[in-house]
Amino acid sequence: MLSPNTPETKPIKLSVKDLAFCYGEKRVLDGLTLDIHAERVTAIIGPSGCGKSTFLKCFNRIHEVSSAVKVTGDMLIDGVDIYRGGIDVVDLRRRVGMVFQKPNPFPKSIYENVAFGPRLFGVNDRASLDLLVEDALRKAALWDEVKDRLKESATGMSGGQQQRLCIARALAVNPEVLLMDEPCSALDPIATSKIEELILELKKTLTIVIVTHNMQQAARVSEYTAFFWLGKLVEMGLTERIFTTPRERMTEDYITGRFG
Amino acid sequence: MNDSSESTLAATKPLDAVSGTKRIQPVLPVFRQSRLHRLADRWSHLLFLACSLLVVALIGGILFFLATRGLAAFFPLAGNTGRTLSFSEVFLTTDWAPSSDRFGILPFVAGSLAVTGLALLVAAPTGILTGVFIAKLAPPWMRTLMRQVMDLLVGIPSVVYGIFGLTVILPLVSRTWLTNAPASGFAISAMILSVMIVPTIVSLATDAFESLPPSLDEGSQALGSSRWQAIWHVLMPAAKPRLLTATVLGLGRAIGEAMAVQMVIGNNPQWIALMRESTDRAPFLRALFTPAATLTTELVQELPNTAAGSPWNNVLFAMGLLLYLLTMVLILTTRRLGRGQEA
Repeated sequence: MLSPNTPETKPIKLSVKDLAFCYGEKRVLDGLTLDIHAERVTAIIGPSGCGKSTFLKCFNRIHEVSSAVKVTGDMLIDGVDIYRGGIDVVDLRRRVGMVFQKPNPFPKSIYENVAFGPRLFGVNDRASLDLLVEDALRKAALWDEVKDRLKESATGMSGGQQQRLCIARALAVNPEVLLMDEPCSALDPIATSKIEELILELKKTLTIVIVTHNMQQAARVSEYTAFFWLGKLVEMGLTERIFTTPRERMTEDYITGRFG
Repeated sequence: MNDSSESTLAATKPLDAVSGTKRIQPVLPVFRQSRLHRLADRWSHLLFLACSLLVVALIGGILFFLATRGLAAFFPLAGNTGRTLSFSEVFLTTDWAPSSDRFGILPFVAGSLAVTGLALLVAAPTGILTGVFIAKLAPPWMRTLMRQVMDLLVGIPSVVYGIFGLTVILPLVSRTWLTNAPASGFAISAMILSVMIVPTIVSLATDAFESLPPSLDEGSQALGSSRWQAIWHVLMPAAKPRLLTATVLGLGRAIGEAMAVQMVIGNNPQWIALMRESTDRAPFLRALFTPAATLTTELVQELPNTAAGSPWNNVLFAMGLLLYLLTMVLILTTRRLGRGQEA
């Protein structure tokens, strides 16, 4: 884990400046400014309804799927604003993968679930797909469990396997950033620990932003932690510092379980 | 910020205080059901049971009635006052001339299947795509409006559709399409039927798409699929069992429809013979506009004019039985299919 004494060596991958998010008349996020480093895990914590998930969804603009929203401020990936005109949303979503709160495998075979992304981007020959699928499943630590039943339906797997399949599916298009929206909230402790191990493995090559309700999880997997409250960023810093010497009283109260 | 943290701390204090003191047991009143309640319970149970038994009995009774009258055509049962017919002469010949003692019902069976198939060919894709539109693409105000319109359309009596076909579509087609041919037959019947069943399919297809978890849609688009790709590759397969059910219910309505079809189909039991004689160079197109008949239209047309117990009358009942069984088989197989898909 990164300690306050060692300097950060990784570049800034995602940069958020004065972000505000309005859902109709309602202001869900306000005045957010923070940086997220490459190849690090950044945990977003905070009570329910504080805008954590909404914030996450801003990074791949997936909120545009279901409702009309207004986003102001800057949101940069490698210095490029993803809300400027001329940005290809499809390309953005390839670069910024997402894993959802509840495992959402498609009602297809295990193989087809993973091959879904590559197929969208025009990979159609069997040999390349086989390679991509195996590679993604290996990265998601699922290959050994499913290599003999790739043709079976994904909906028949256990919850933990389904979630790792969803991670594999996201990895299959070779993203740079992985957004995880409470990926373990529907899983049992064993499945959860597998996902956490996976996160530690994946951060070697990926930038990971994870929303979690679980303080221990944030402490275990992340280098940075941001605490949100009522749509505002209360405090952000190295996980070690946030959990040992938080600057804000509210952060301390939340971490120690006094509210939330 | 400080204010709120103070207040949350304050709120937790009384809890700590309580845990230290002795807990006071509340005195609970004795809850007991009154005799009246228990009696009402038992009687309402019996009432519900009676109602459901009545429904089952009705369905069974109809089947029994149809079966005894229909089978009387083939066996010397009590209901048969004329000669008994063989299965092959009824089901495998195309000549329907009851007054000359010829009872081939193949034209009606083929007619029913043709008109239903054609109607579904139009109505199923239209209905399903409209369902997608309402559930996934339409703006909220339009969604509400469309749903209400569809619910209204489901309730329109079929005879109204028939009148529309007879007075609007028929003259229109005979004036513009085939001027020298009588405009009636499968094409127009199927057109009317599909308009009739589209609302049913739309309603159920919309439900099917709305019942899918939004995470499927989001998951697909989070991988970089377009909205259309998400619909086509993820939502459609996921909704398949319920879309199948929607289509079958539409089919059920189409195959059983008598009134609207009877008004536009031309009611010609000899349509297969007519087709055979014709030397048309486009037989399929001709077939679409040949006056024809179906199981239901023939029943409506002839049942009131036949004497009970005569072979004619009995064969008509056999047609009714066939229709009943056909619908039953269709519904059961698709239900089985749908279940297989869901697992």
